[in-house]
Amino acid sequence: MTFKHKQLSNGLTLIGEMHPAAQTVAMGFFVRTGSRDETPEVSGVSHFLEHMMFKGTDDLNWQQVNEAFDGIGAKFNAFTGEENTVYYAAVLSEFLPDVARLWSKLMRPSLRDDDFNIEKNVIQQEIAMYKDMPQFEVLDQARALHFGSHPCGNSVLGTEASIAAMTADQMRRYFSRRYAPNNLVAAACGNFEFDQLCDQVESLCSHWKPEESGRQLSSFDGTQSRKALRKENLARHHICMISPCVSMQDPRRFAASLLSMIIGDDSGSRYYWSLVDCAIAETASMQAETMDGVGAMYSYLCCEPDNAEKVTSIVANIFDQIAKDGVSENEVQTAKNKILSAMAIKSEQPMGRIFGLGFNWIYAKQYRTLADDIASVRAVTAEDINRLIAEYKPGHFTCLEMGPKV
Amino acid sequence: MRRKQKTMAKQQERQDSYQLGNGLMILGEPMPDVESASFYFLLPAGSAYLPDGCCGAGEVITDWMLRGAGSRNSRQLIETLDGLGIHHNTSVSAEHLSLSASLEADNVPAAMELCADILTAPMLTDDQFEPSKQLALHELAALDDDPQQKVRMLVSEQYYPSPYNRPTEGKPAELENLTTQRCRQIIRDQFDWSKCIFSIAGKYDFQTICDILEKRFSALAGTKVKTPLPGSRGQHYFHEPNDGAQVHIGLMTTVPTVRDVRYYDIMAAVSILSGSMSSRLFTEVREKRGLCYAVGARYKSLKDFAAISGYAGTTPEQAQETLDVMIDQFRQLRKGISDDEMHRAKIGLKSSLIMQCESSATRAAGIAADHAHLGRVRTMQEIRDAIEAVSVSSVLAFLNDNLFEDFTVATIGPKPIQH
Repeated sequence: MTFKHKQLSNGLTLIGEMHPAAQTVAMGFFVRTGSRDETPEVSGVSHFLEHMMFKGTDDLNWQQVNEAFDGIGAKFNAFTGEENTVYYAAVLSEFLPDVARLWSKLMRPSLRDDDFNIEKNVIQQEIAMYKDMPQFEVLDQARALHFGSHPCGNSVLGTEASIAAMTADQMRRYFSRRYAPNNLVAAACGNFEFDQLCDQVESLCSHWKPEESGRQLSSFDGTQSRKALRKENLARHHICMISPCVSMQDPRRFAASLLSMIIGDDSGSRYYWSLVDCAIAETASMQAETMDGVGAMYSYLCCEPDNAEKVTSIVANIFDQIAKDGVSENEVQTAKNKILSAMAIKSEQPMGRIFGLGFNWIYAKQYRTLADDIASVRAVTAEDINRLIAEYKPGHFTCLEMGPKV
Repeated sequence: MRRKQKTMAKQQERQDSYQLGNGLMILGEPMPDVESASFYFLLPAGSAYLPDGCCGAGEVITDWMLRGAGSRNSRQLIETLDGLGIHHNTSVSAEHLSLSASLEADNVPAAMELCADILTAPMLTDDQFEPSKQLALHELAALDDDPQQKVRMLVSEQYYPSPYNRPTEGKPAELENLTTQRCRQIIRDQFDWSKCIFSIAGKYDFQTICDILEKRFSALAGTKVKTPLPGSRGQHYFHEPNDGAQVHIGLMTTVPTVRDVRYYDIMAAVSILSGSMSSRLFTEVREKRGLCYAVGARYKSLKDFAAISGYAGTTPEQAQETLDVMIDQFRQLRKGISDDEMHRAKIGLKSSLIMQCESSATRAAGIAADHAHLGRVRTMQEIRDAIEAVSVSSVLAFLNDNLFEDFTVATIGPKPIQH
């Protein structure tokens, strides 16, 4: 396994991790833009734009785009988050030149008015779909509550009103600022020749013009506010709790992942033994989300409406206990074994490696091998995690609840 | 007792197999250059095999079995599994109950010993039963907040003949009635070790695998469990009222099973219909008409019953049109398929196949499913050749025998639609 990278004169960066034994390659573009880079009047534009990127270029319509991907058997998709929009595909190695050409072309889309108007319906449908998924909605609303005026609270989907009011011109302006080459990383992982890929991408993308596309960074401790929403049509009580955490640039992010696993992994964690094992809640999980200059620990719990109070008081106890006594060496070792084996399983396929590869570069301009990550996980001590607990206080959280009996 | 190690032309196509004296089948496929492995235990003890009135017992039993096994109590067992970094999972389908694990290759023998404890020596203590039952009830109730998932359950319940239509998640009243005695009896009667399949893919030593399974399972006998006979089917259309934002539509229509000689023609037809973004459903329902965000169809096969199962979620005003366009697209298929569509379907199927072989968990599941449904494991070369042999005329011939005349439909949403 080897790594190479190159920056073109317009700022576009190419990174590649070569695995000669693989049969496939995963390749895509990472764009450093998401809902936190939006103003309220274009709320949801990053995600809407991600859909529009598949509608084609001046010489390809949407049908030809879909057929071109499918004609090489590509497994492809894209996703938009608070701070990144990622386009990716996995193909058999022989098709890398085709998929690299296609993605490079699509990164300069036409954004036609008629495609924009049809796709608006699809976005409204997607918003409606998530309204029927309380496990998603509770998280979205809790994030807005926790981050308050900080841009990380912006909704990825936007609202029915913001999407309805959006114009194609607004989207084009957002595109030209945020999809500048200096805000993009092209990444590939698997069985391929890096220099050939560079030559090809360079010939297709070197004429793109750089732009000022920075981002306002500020850390934020959260509002620690509480809100409860009564929703008659729900069957269960859904709870999301958010507390501050380290950022993606902070080397303590490995300790934060281990802490979230000790508290809220779906097996053998503190939540598991206090809530799920005894059937007080059917779901109780925690995740550390480390972001650009900021971070958050998310807990999601789902239970019978009559158990809601019991669940919140048990969670409060778990946080009190952990603040008082910290985590044990034994818990840390178990969490490490779980993370290390998850890493080994994930790295079986190029598609499992590409996101880690791309995000390490986007956030820290850093290449980390699987071995580097393994070493960082192994090096964390219980003391490191306990210091993190003392500093970030997971028990001081923002809480949003929704259910039929609130 | 038979031992087999078949080596194909290429190193990665080696297939290992070994059958214990009691009938338990061991299958393996090594993967080059990985440090992990995944294995499956598959028992013909799915929901269709349960006695009447015990719907959901599989969910309760699989949870209960993990609450202490061998010499370890519940906490010790979970801590040992977690300590070895074992990502374990249990699942119940109409036909099977399975226990699977993915982990770093070095820990495979220890993980197999633990799984053997769970399957053959679970403690099944009285005090751990109630939480298992309560969790199953809670998870069933939670499906009401996940209509996308629930509509799939509802349409299966109407489509398959009884008892293959039983929801694996259970039914509230039947779950409530389950007792410790009843569930212990089900384990004794239904766990037929002579029909158990063990599969492994990734990095492993086959001799070590066989030795462990021989030691732990060879003395276990079969039972007299018979494959259940199919009974009647449910309603043509079922609607569940729900005051949500969308109407969730689930549909199923009959096609031949995986054992049929036309299996790859069916797979190509499903791929043309819904394999990817240039396929018919995505193009006609979402891209051209903007009717919904999520729309798709996939092939689902039990040993003796198969279907193409479709889903779409849309607003109440557009639900009728969405269903009508979907069904029309199934029927339009036989009117013609272009060479380009056929090319895309074939390359898509081949590419999925190779990608599946790069994941130990997917491959281990595939090996076990092949053996359960076909009585043998298809080699990659065999599948590649079969995909290659599919043509526009072979798919059209299949479609002219299979007219998609009848669809079972279920909806969840504010109001029913016409079907």
